[in-house]
Amino acid sequence: MDVSITGVGMTRFESDAQASTLELAERVAWDALEDAEIDSSAVESVHVGNMAAEALDSRTGLENAVCGALGIEGATADRIENTSASGASALLRAVDAIRAGRSRTALVVGVETMSSVDTDTATDVISSLTHDREYVQGLTLPSFAGLAADAYLERYDADREALAAVAVKNHRNATVNPYAQFQKEVTLDEALKSPPVAEPLRLYDCCPTSDGAAAVVLTADGDGEVQLSAIEGATGSHAVAERADPLEIESVALAGERAMARASISHEDVDVACIHDAFTILELLELEELGFYDNGQAWRATLDGRTDRGGELPVNPGGGLKARGHPLGATGVSQVIELVWQLRGDAPGEGRQLDDPDVGLAINVAGFGNNSICTIVKRA
Amino acid sequence: MNESREPTVESDDAGQAFRCTNCSSSWYYTRGRCLDCGSSSFETYRLGPGRVVATTTVHATPPGVRTPNHLGLVRFDDGVSLIAQLESSGVSVGESVGFGEIVTLREGDATSIGPQLTTE
Repeated sequence: MDVSITGVGMTRFESDAQASTLELAERVAWDALEDAEIDSSAVESVHVGNMAAEALDSRTGLENAVCGALGIEGATADRIENTSASGASALLRAVDAIRAGRSRTALVVGVETMSSVDTDTATDVISSLTHDREYVQGLTLPSFAGLAADAYLERYDADREALAAVAVKNHRNATVNPYAQFQKEVTLDEALKSPPVAEPLRLYDCCPTSDGAAAVVLTADGDGEVQLSAIEGATGSHAVAERADPLEIESVALAGERAMARASISHEDVDVACIHDAFTILELLELEELGFYDNGQAWRATLDGRTDRGGELPVNPGGGLKARGHPLGATGVSQVIELVWQLRGDAPGEGRQLDDPDVGLAINVAGFGNNSICTIVKRA
Repeated sequence: MNESREPTVESDDAGQAFRCTNCSSSWYYTRGRCLDCGSSSFETYRLGPGRVVATTTVHATPPGVRTPNHLGLVRFDDGVSLIAQLESSGVSVGESVGFGEIVTLREGDATSIGPQLTTE
């Protein structure tokens, strides 16, 4: 069964959108339906990706509230939770619904509002995804990233510039993305001298907290301009220390391998990639786990500009989580929207359109690799 | 009759791991059964010295957790690896560490106490 992406809608990601989770979800859902040129009555299934609306915005039953707001009646609807990969998980469920024949038109909404609680509460809610024995040690997501970065720099004899280069590139890409939270350049020096967060990681090695939403419409036909060729997920270890190698994210490798096999493509076919760079180190590790670069080589490729917008493999042309922002449940959907824009040739923003890409790949990662989903889209 | 112990994380046992009494497989991250043989019968044991694989010092910590928080990824015998608080900064990769004094690891609704890792 062919699955087309026929409409997209997205809010700008912001540190405080001054809107509720439901309002953001409603806004992007309308935008995606309009872009797809369909009425809400055509929607047969609704898949909402969201990590923690009950804890962060006192909202449960988000999927039904979205249906109510849009006047969608008689659809099947769920909220899908897979921490920071809730968005891509919702997309996966939508594709499954279409392939199974349950739905001919699916609406996927990824959304998160993180500004309505203080930073301490948000940190604690996110830390609750860790194993109990990780939690008692005070581990946060930046803690895992700091340890992995320490191991990476040590093993490959790299210095902090290798990490900062990712931040500089992604910030540069975001300067011309009107949907990005940070539309400003960061110099290598600024990144290197920013305050330490989880050493060796600095402030500019870490994504922000964000409010935002993103939606896509999927239809069961092969006529759309952009086809969703494959979407595959894989779980990894829950406790991060149980991995045989601290630089290994097995869920990313497995999801990528499965998606590329299903889409019948090889690495050379991929023209643009959206990588889950919640931390600069993750962009390097994921590029290596996905097989785009050998182990210990992604940092050199980044420093050499090979992952720039004009490089051999443009990575995170929209700014990534680092600069576009990371409203947890919205991120996975926003990655795929960036790919759709690039493939349709209408990427918003001055000079942001890549040169005629045909195939795009996105990887959305839950926690520090607990579960990953890889999506591959092709221009029809 | 099942003789297994409930594998709950007691407030003072961060220095202990689990060992299957059927196949001797070891693990640290609490689960109800041995993943190698499926047995739910296991005992706890005190971890001996381990080797530091990576370290970080975290400056933005959650409520109830010390700032800065020095952490180490440490490998022990029997294939057990864990991430735990280091008593102090300045511990290097490759150094040997063991669990030392009991301190407060995390304050809050359910305060957690346990040993921190220290160089020997």
